[in-house]
Amino acid sequence: MDIVTAQIVTGLSIASILLLVALGLAIIYGTTGVINMAHGEFVMLGAYSAWFLQTYVGIGLIESLVVIFAMVAALGWVAERIVIRHLYRRPLDTILATWGIGIMAQQAIRLSVGGELRYVEMPPVMGGSIILLGIEMSAFRLFILVLAIALFAFTWYLMYRTTIGMKLRAITQNREIASCFGINSGRIYSLTFAYGAGLAGLAGALVSPLKSVSPEMGTTYVVDAFMIVVLGGVESLIGTMASSAILGQLYGFLAFYSNDTIAKALVLMAIVVVIRYRPQGLFAAKVRV
Amino acid sequence: MSRRTVLQIVAYGIVCLAILLVPTFYDDAFVLNKYSRYLVLGILAIALSLSWGYTGILNLGQATSFGLGSYCMAMGLKLRTVPVHTGSSGLPDFMVWNNVATLPWFWEPFHSMSFAIFAGIAVPVIFAILLGWFIFGGRVTGVYVAIITLAVLVVVNLLIIDQQRFTGGFNGITDLAQLEIFGLQFDAYGSSSYYLIAVSLTFSLFFALAITKSKTGLILQAIRDQENRVRYFGYDVANFKIFSFAVSAGIAGLAGMLYTIVMEFASPTFLGVPLSLSIVIWCAVGGRQSLLGAMLGAIVVTGMQGALSESEIFLDTWTLIMGFLFVVVVLFLPKGIAGAAELLFERIRPGTGTGSARTEPSPSHNAIRRETGPAE
Repeated sequence: MDIVTAQIVTGLSIASILLLVALGLAIIYGTTGVINMAHGEFVMLGAYSAWFLQTYVGIGLIESLVVIFAMVAALGWVAERIVIRHLYRRPLDTILATWGIGIMAQQAIRLSVGGELRYVEMPPVMGGSIILLGIEMSAFRLFILVLAIALFAFTWYLMYRTTIGMKLRAITQNREIASCFGINSGRIYSLTFAYGAGLAGLAGALVSPLKSVSPEMGTTYVVDAFMIVVLGGVESLIGTMASSAILGQLYGFLAFYSNDTIAKALVLMAIVVVIRYRPQGLFAAKVRV
Repeated sequence: MSRRTVLQIVAYGIVCLAILLVPTFYDDAFVLNKYSRYLVLGILAIALSLSWGYTGILNLGQATSFGLGSYCMAMGLKLRTVPVHTGSSGLPDFMVWNNVATLPWFWEPFHSMSFAIFAGIAVPVIFAILLGWFIFGGRVTGVYVAIITLAVLVVVNLLIIDQQRFTGGFNGITDLAQLEIFGLQFDAYGSSSYYLIAVSLTFSLFFALAITKSKTGLILQAIRDQENRVRYFGYDVANFKIFSFAVSAGIAGLAGMLYTIVMEFASPTFLGVPLSLSIVIWCAVGGRQSLLGAMLGAIVVTGMQGALSESEIFLDTWTLIMGFLFVVVVLFLPKGIAGAAELLFERIRPGTGTGSARTEPSPSHNAIRRETGPAE
């Protein structure tokens, strides 16, 4: 019994990180159709911002989260304004262009900060662990889980209960007609992109105490995040959450029985099969043609 | 043959001839080895150009075929090395380190070099046919093809790393013998390997050109531009796509085998995501809708990479420059340098082309709106 619960908690912990990374990607891909290969690099930039603020400015991780969100969002906004907005009509080319942006971001970090691994300290308040349902759980991982759910709820609220969200959904359905109704689609797109990038930055900052920070750290996340978005269904936020949960549990479960590599390979193969038979995703409510 | 085709053949021939003549000017073993490496990557770019530029299949996992080919060659050559660390039955060294007692069954046939060479092309082709049948049979298109091929690449890569006992894991298969066919030794640093690769390149280039000029090639291009319309004409789109996918895999497999000869090892990085995405870059920079353009794109980009990373100043900034170059090409030259050159050529001498370059559909027409596969 204990093993099962412990397994579920491990899975949840993996899932919360996946959700943080995938949420930003889901919004960008769902709204603009841009395949953002640079998403992993936004995660990496978030982690480096956390490291920089902690080492040189002396602000703790929790206090700097807002600043990090703003910084990475600003970078995302710039990338959208300069490059991506020219490519909305060529979705496949966005893969290439954003990958180019990703390489540049990686190399810029390597040149300015160096390629060696960096470490971010965990907030001292959350160094300990908490007993929850008879399971010992790291307080910081619990914090990530809570924050991931809170951010998810906030994003959902933004999308479905605000004017900006309504405009955004209108553009998603039909950009031309939305523009005819006076919605400034270019502005909404850049805001969306900035918000998605900011979320990625937050994800990076939050995982930075758990893993070492390196210029290549983003690439491992971007593939997983993509699989989640596609698995969940492109325009379904709930789907993103559900597929993060499924994937997190699967990784945890399979890694327990075999090894990490095989777990990853099996999960990827399962996703390939799902995409083949349900390209619209597991949780897409209705399909827009 | 139209005048355009003749011009194309002449241009392709001149480039291939120039490549074949290089060893008469540079007789330095190190330089030749470096150039042969670039040429092999050029073959790889031809393979992607055929599937991406001519059929519209953005295969982000082209390195899968490349890696499979390279491992087949490495397995064949490994069994011919003079055993240094091996056990009694001539087992490859890494198997001995991993306590493998007997040679696994799938290694057995690689004792025959002709089988290894055959497998280097057949394995990627069969793999591509199965994968293509799986993907295109379900009418999966656009972005989803890219994601599936990428995921499959990662899976194969992970499996090769994980099965260390049979594949050498992270280290790959090293310490190989030299290839010997009909008494000819192919030394990685000799001109014989260079000629082998240059001939293979010429062959691949003209083979691919012949396909694109055939009726099948026309249908492939039609599928790229308007898939549904071709389907309404009664063609089996999936079969044509599988064909293009498989031929491209075969060429990539050939390139993989040659790469093993030049590098003298096979490693999981040959199936890495970075290499696979680099192939896409080369094609995009050179011009994906031109076989020659894609090939030259690969040779020029990797050549520049090699030259710049040798000098102190550019060692670190090179990647930055490449990323920037790539973004610029995607933004301003969607058809790559070859596309720009063709446009320029037609402006200087109007009427030379058949006008086919001008009547191609506009990008918006071509754009893949998030298609949802079977539900269309």
